[in-house]
Amino acid sequence: MKSISHDRWALLVSAVILLVLPLVASGYVLYIVNLLMVFVVLSLGMHVVIGEAGQFALSHTAFYGIGIYTAGLINTACHPPFFISILAGGLLSAVLGYVIGLLALRMRDIYLALATFAFGEAMQWVFLNWDKVTGGSNGMRMQPAELFGLKLTNDLQAYPFVIGVAALMLWLTVILSRSQYGSCLRAVRESEVAAMAMGINVKAMKQSAFAISAAFAGIAGGMYTLFTSFIHPESLGFQTTILVLTMVVVGGIGSVRGAVLGAIVFGLISELLRQALSVQEIIYGVILMGFMMFKPKGLFAGNQKRAATVITPAASA
Amino acid sequence: MSLNDSWLFLQQGVLSGLVTGSVYALLAIAIVTVFKTTDVPNFAQGEMFMIGGYVALTLLLIVKWPYAVVIPLTLVIVAMGGALFQRVVMERVTGSKGVGVQLVIATLGLAYGLKGLVRQTGLGDTPRSLPPLVSGDAVLIGDAVLTRLDIAIFMVALVVMALLYLMFNKTRIGKAMRAVGMNPRAAQIVGIRLSHIRMLVWALSGLISGLAALLIAPKVLITPDIAHIAILAYAAAIVGGFTSLPGAVLGGFIIGILENLVGLFISTNAIVVAPFLAILLTLIVRPQGLLGGKPQLKKV
Amino acid sequence: MKFYKPLLLCATFCAAVMSVAHAQQEPGLTDKTIKIGLFAPLSGNAMAYGFDVMNAAKMYYDKINKEGGIHGRKLEFVVEDDRCSANDLLAAVKKLTEQDKVFMLNGGSCSGAVVGAREYIERAQIPYVMLNASGDGALYPPSKYIYGAFSISQRAVGGSMVQFAAEHLKGKKIGYINHDDAYGGWNLEAAEFQAKKIGVDLQVQSINPNLTDVTAPMLKIRAANPDVLIITTYARPVSLLVKKAQELGWSKPIVIAVNGTADLKQLVENVGNKDAFKNVYLQEVMLDVAGGPKLKWVYDMYKAYYPELAAKPGYPQTYMPYGIPSAMAVVNALKAAGPNPTREKVLTALSQTKFDSGVMAGPIELTPTDHAAQKSAIYLKFDGESMNVVPDTYRSLWTY
Repeated sequence: MKSISHDRWALLVSAVILLVLPLVASGYVLYIVNLLMVFVVLSLGMHVVIGEAGQFALSHTAFYGIGIYTAGLINTACHPPFFISILAGGLLSAVLGYVIGLLALRMRDIYLALATFAFGEAMQWVFLNWDKVTGGSNGMRMQPAELFGLKLTNDLQAYPFVIGVAALMLWLTVILSRSQYGSCLRAVRESEVAAMAMGINVKAMKQSAFAISAAFAGIAGGMYTLFTSFIHPESLGFQTTILVLTMVVVGGIGSVRGAVLGAIVFGLISELLRQALSVQEIIYGVILMGFMMFKPKGLFAGNQKRAATVITPAASA
Repeated sequence: MSLNDSWLFLQQGVLSGLVTGSVYALLAIAIVTVFKTTDVPNFAQGEMFMIGGYVALTLLLIVKWPYAVVIPLTLVIVAMGGALFQRVVMERVTGSKGVGVQLVIATLGLAYGLKGLVRQTGLGDTPRSLPPLVSGDAVLIGDAVLTRLDIAIFMVALVVMALLYLMFNKTRIGKAMRAVGMNPRAAQIVGIRLSHIRMLVWALSGLISGLAALLIAPKVLITPDIAHIAILAYAAAIVGGFTSLPGAVLGGFIIGILENLVGLFISTNAIVVAPFLAILLTLIVRPQGLLGGKPQLKKV
Repeated sequence: MKFYKPLLLCATFCAAVMSVAHAQQEPGLTDKTIKIGLFAPLSGNAMAYGFDVMNAAKMYYDKINKEGGIHGRKLEFVVEDDRCSANDLLAAVKKLTEQDKVFMLNGGSCSGAVVGAREYIERAQIPYVMLNASGDGALYPPSKYIYGAFSISQRAVGGSMVQFAAEHLKGKKIGYINHDDAYGGWNLEAAEFQAKKIGVDLQVQSINPNLTDVTAPMLKIRAANPDVLIITTYARPVSLLVKKAQELGWSKPIVIAVNGTADLKQLVENVGNKDAFKNVYLQEVMLDVAGGPKLKWVYDMYKAYYPELAAKPGYPQTYMPYGIPSAMAVVNALKAAGPNPTREKVLTALSQTKFDSGVMAGPIELTPTDHAAQKSAIYLKFDGESMNVVPDTYRSLWTY
């Protein structure tokens, strides 16, 4: 019961801060908040596939990119209400995610990680070279997102909508986590054999987890187009995937709270230390190694409760 | 393209590919060795390679010691660094009940830390080169051109591979490493000290990385980005078979040659994406790689 | 359900905020100061393209301040590091415009990075004068708010090099190695245009800027057997290409574009062989070689302003003087805008710029339809140690 009221507190305080911010801070600060919201959604997506379903998918950023380009292109071409472009991005990512999920059926752990990593890198290459669609290494300029005539041309205007979408995705994640489906995913994570024995369709679980996580990433991409006018593929590679992975792992694998907090902390570090890249990298390195050494489960160890404890032999000498 | 040109390209592609491939092979061996013994894919392999280059550079240009001293010193430093990392960081992670993903992330932390360190020193701001030990004179082999340096790289790499083979198969230490890789608990029972072996394996990985860096640095120019070479090493390891050392060697040569042939016959653009496609293809069609034996089932 | 209330409140509040008209006061301007947002790659591996260039601009601004400023106002600046990355540059520009509220922007050394900010700058309606970036993508078609190419536009680079190769080196078939990115695309476009106009054949190999093994492209070029090889890549691939060319036995002329000459000493060191430079030409966009007599005044000024930097080896960096024409353009426009400048007045003044910087090979000219400032180049023969100027400038024929 105690943790529930902690969550309520946190939500209330955040709501108040977010409400007051536009009145006191510059557009640049709002830009940072918008960016953090995108990271939160990316983190939640990765939480679903790694935290809940235990599938090591390192292709996250590819779907993020697909979401950005899809939404951006649709916005520029037809100017529909923005949620249509965002949904389109999410849908396309979900479909591709489902297909990539096929890989998960045949591979485990490190092999899945390597395969999805290769896929992610190959996608970045596509983004960099498919000039006709993505503008290639020129980057792509996007027209502002619209909502029934209202054009979102700066961070302030996009702000409420970005937060709205992020809140929605958070809500969806919590529902998913608490649902039967969430339990099934966690069962698959713990032991595929046992899950199958219980009658869970492991294949469907894995592929749907992939699809859902990809959809989240795609939607995060759509959110990004609400407040930016330009995208360059150099930020759509493995570095970003690792950043999101860090957010989830340090926040706490298996924990929604962890994913959100990890996103905010690392998103802030990433932007505030933008000018001092070497310091940023050293700090990352120290945080990652430090956490893995002392608190490997992350800040909020998630639903890791097991019925029985594992008996370990004498510790390695 | 004329037939003559094609034949020339083929020769050059294969020969140059063998040279760069031998370096990929070395790094792939380092990756596979660590993986086989500790079950951890080292995501900092590229950065260890990069550090090897920068340590040599610092010793040579700033401390100004002669090459004869710099070479063994670099190898020792990187090897010790590797062993230290295993002892201090990785052991702690396992001690805190961290498993697979946490160990990998710890290596990621190392990668970031090393990169940040190099950036901080400002050495990486311009591409640098190590003065070559062997002349860059061209040697004609058939229609293709290699330099003396290229040939030296290839030869040294082969010798190192032979030495490693001997070590793994004929020495006690080598056999102990293999034992730990096959079954750590059984190895422990037989009296092998796991912690020592793991440190040695990481030291070996550092040694190999440093050596690879010293070999190839005069050829490619040292920048912080050369850590990317790890991707090619991973591709090599996967194509050859992630749990097979001979596989790593074979994979290295294949990837090196593939890179060049793709560049010559398809387009220079496609060179960058070729290793990723190779990884995907291998994992989908034949996940155990060429020499990996039966596809292994990891414990659920 | 408790969730929706705060969300609704937030949405209403924000809508209210948005509807408040924003103040019309010129940002960055006070009675005594004009605030300029400066940015360039100050760290990382592109540092050689911008670090000292910004220093040059700053020292020029300082000189103007010492002489009394502009209509009684002193220039002050806020500095950001764009690391030559499109995303970082955009974030830097956002911060300067919205957080630091500068009057105008002066920065950018990397074309690819600069182009990414075009949309934002136009939406924010802030004048932007590039530092030394070519920035073709932001200059063609011209944008009301953006001026650049104070070093040289990439279109001019490509055209000029082909002209030089054909005219001075008598090349009929010309090998051309560029990058497969936007930047490379621009210089190639003008090169192809020039080649067609003067009737020479171009053999092109476009390479990835991160390529480590240049065997494939060099082999293909050699197979095509051109009379001259033109290289328009960044500095690192230049070393690899020159080295590989020598290994493959290439002895015909090589012409290196100005963007590949960031650190000549390192180039020679990296290639490692003096023979490789028997037939090498460098493109130069200043009116004299770096450190030459006609540019003495710039280097003296640098020594006076940055004595500790000037004492370090490798300083001032090769591109340092490029900061001067950009800063001059800004200062001239601010002066022409009068004692009550507005962003509009400055933009109008910028579109009517014409002066000789005393630094670049050609005049600095900006018109309402052409926002690319400098288009001329000279060439130097480089033997690994010394440089000899080839007479004449070589102009590109390309127009938008």
